[in-house]
Amino acid sequence: MAHKGETLVEVRDLCKYFGVTVALHHVDFVVKTGEIRGLIGENGSGKSTVSSIIAGMQPASMGEMFYKGKPWKPSTMLEAQAAGIGMIVQESGTIANISVAENIFLGNYGKFKKGPLINKAAMVAEARKALEKIGVTNINPALPAGHYDMQERKLIEIAKCVYNDPELLIVDETTTALSQGGRDIIYRIMHEMADNNKAVMIISHDLNEMMEQCDTLTVLRDGVIIDNIEKKDFDPDDIKQKMVGREIKGDYYRSDNDGYGDEVVLKADCITTMHSLLCFDLELHKQEILGIGGLSDCGMHTLGRALYGLEEIVDGDVILTKSGTRIKNAQVAFRSGMGYVSKNRDTESLELNASIFANIASTGYDKNNAGPFILPWKEKTYVEKQIQALQIKCQNAYQPVRALSGGNKQKVVFGKWCADDADVLILDCPTRGVDIGVKAAMYQLIYDMKKQGKSIIMISEELPELMGMCDRLLILRDGAVSGEFFRKDGYDDRELIEHMI
Amino acid sequence: MEAAKTPTPKKEHVLSLGERISVIRQSRYFLMVFPFAMLAIIILIFTVATGGQFFRMSVFSSLFSQAVIIGTCATGVSFIYSNGNLDISIGSVLGLAATLGVMVFTATNNVVLMIAVMILSALALMAFNCTMSVVCHIKTITVAIVVTQIYGAISTLLIGGTGTIDIDYNVAVSLEDGGFRYVSFALYFIFCIVLYHFTRVGRELRFLGGNENCAQQTGISNSRATYISFLVTGLGVGLAAVYSVTNVAAVSVETGSNLGMDVMLATVLGGMSIFGGARSNAYAGILGALTVAALNTGLLMVGVSSAWIQGIRGIIFLILVWMNSERLALLPSRVQF
Repeated sequence: MAHKGETLVEVRDLCKYFGVTVALHHVDFVVKTGEIRGLIGENGSGKSTVSSIIAGMQPASMGEMFYKGKPWKPSTMLEAQAAGIGMIVQESGTIANISVAENIFLGNYGKFKKGPLINKAAMVAEARKALEKIGVTNINPALPAGHYDMQERKLIEIAKCVYNDPELLIVDETTTALSQGGRDIIYRIMHEMADNNKAVMIISHDLNEMMEQCDTLTVLRDGVIIDNIEKKDFDPDDIKQKMVGREIKGDYYRSDNDGYGDEVVLKADCITTMHSLLCFDLELHKQEILGIGGLSDCGMHTLGRALYGLEEIVDGDVILTKSGTRIKNAQVAFRSGMGYVSKNRDTESLELNASIFANIASTGYDKNNAGPFILPWKEKTYVEKQIQALQIKCQNAYQPVRALSGGNKQKVVFGKWCADDADVLILDCPTRGVDIGVKAAMYQLIYDMKKQGKSIIMISEELPELMGMCDRLLILRDGAVSGEFFRKDGYDDRELIEHMI
Repeated sequence: MEAAKTPTPKKEHVLSLGERISVIRQSRYFLMVFPFAMLAIIILIFTVATGGQFFRMSVFSSLFSQAVIIGTCATGVSFIYSNGNLDISIGSVLGLAATLGVMVFTATNNVVLMIAVMILSALALMAFNCTMSVVCHIKTITVAIVVTQIYGAISTLLIGGTGTIDIDYNVAVSLEDGGFRYVSFALYFIFCIVLYHFTRVGRELRFLGGNENCAQQTGISNSRATYISFLVTGLGVGLAAVYSVTNVAAVSVETGSNLGMDVMLATVLGGMSIFGGARSNAYAGILGALTVAALNTGLLMVGVSSAWIQGIRGIIFLILVWMNSERLALLPSRVQF
């Protein structure tokens, strides 16, 4: 067995280029056994790139790697997995249409083979063991993975990774998709591995989490390692400054207590949906930032969809009070000056293959026209304005959105709604998976929108941002409001959590 | 992949040839220019190879004649492809529209009426296809397969025993050689280009083809866009029916057969994906049709046997598909894994 503190993986002079873009620039670092190493940095700083190279997802352009003292150049993820390097990827890494068991043993069907046939029963049994190993018992490995929600699917991936007893586990921005329970499972696995003289690399934008869980933090910026910091030297402000290269104040939420208008702009009148909501009432006021929080399955995401006409409403009405418009589908919502940022950014809020230009311009067909014709120069200004205002990092506006990092993708989503100038905005997890620099910019943007007289519904699983940004906060439990809190009254997170569970 | 700033470069990174090619191929202009460049290169090569024989008005007019039927249909169908739908029934729609038009002409001897009937019946048939898929929620390709059989059967019944109905040869020649073909094609093509690239129609179709959920959240109606795409195609197929009939001065049970596949081929050769999405446009079809025509004619003129022509066409087709189908090198994301 390896001893604590031995070099497990060494990366020397590693470079990665995407055409002319530099993603990693001569990176060196060492991961030792018994260590939990955090990689931290802004979106696009190279964290995912370096870990995906180690895990065999893509080759490096230059440089060397060593694993257990030998040169390491995996050509596939399976090769890395077999050698003991497992990675839990950012976002969804499961295939919806095949069973949980098949997902867990994807590419490793060999041991269940009997001639040309696969012994499914054995595979399911083994998958159940894999899930139990990480303490998950409520997932049936025989069902298709699509049957489970994001959080459960993440646990399936974790089970898949841990089943192979990796020497090095890479956790790429997984925790943001998980509730506390899911996070605890990951933390337990990470610490168990470290105690057994294996190693963990974790990527996360949650600085508190990183400082709590990691032994060492490696700060990356623009593909270059800025610093390696030991646990005893952790200081949040110092780390933030190193990440973004400029000073970021500890508090980036709004500090005012301005309140909001009396006029109700959007009203949900006893709405009932197929799932989650039963006779739900809600009123959104002018200039109000209304927060909606709760556990991820409390019905708040359904509520957001229902308000924008995306979820079938069996009974009751969503009404824009000023015009009396009944929101019966997303087209009506859009035409009536509403906007919606989905929780599922890549699948619902963006056309990934289209350019930044096309994505932002998509909200402006009715604004950049003269009669039936779209005026290209007007459209160009419409888009350029947002790219500059939001400082979207891109080569040019015609780059496909899929080539951008998470934070910049989210900026594009915000860009299209800012440009749209919607009066009522529904934001479902607007800062999911973005770094603090981008977060700060988005909070400022949301606050500016409020100042301009817009009304905002902010659905989030992160209590700090709800507490920091909202005028009024509704906590949902099992599809009903379990608590209402006002900014002017003040409250603390313990009260909120009590109402959540 | 946005980390463009490099604070302290240790070594200068020199682009390899492969990387240079990939930079060029990923340029947004590449796909726009590439099909035009291919056509120009093919014309240039054959002009040199034939000692200038290829670069003549008569050859070009023959290229246009070969390309116009497929090109007109393909220009229309690119609207359907753009939002991710497929329709291979246009051949049978063209056949049935042509049959109806010819029958009206036989009865009335009125050319204008014949043209009107062909265009209107093509529009009506495409509208029917679209309604089946929009209202009954059947995939357009499934509808297309079924109606192909039905329309084909109706045409065969109407045409009857001989399998062809002739029209007056002089009428056909005057329509073919007179201004009608050129003017109507030019008008249709300009109409499509303007509609696709300078109004919201093309943008909406592309967006729907790329991500229907996202498009709907931005207030785009899929049914409306689908109807527009089918009606634009119907208009083109109606015109192509006129060109087909006047080309051979008859309509037969074979009119329009294989057209669906030829149109797909032309679209891909013109640099567009038949699966639609962000890179779609309205000119790929006619470019592709002209490229095929230029290749056929040119290879024949330099004395290549027809068996070889098939082979060479196949190779060029593969190269084009390869050029158009590369995945970008990306960071790991949910789309890739």
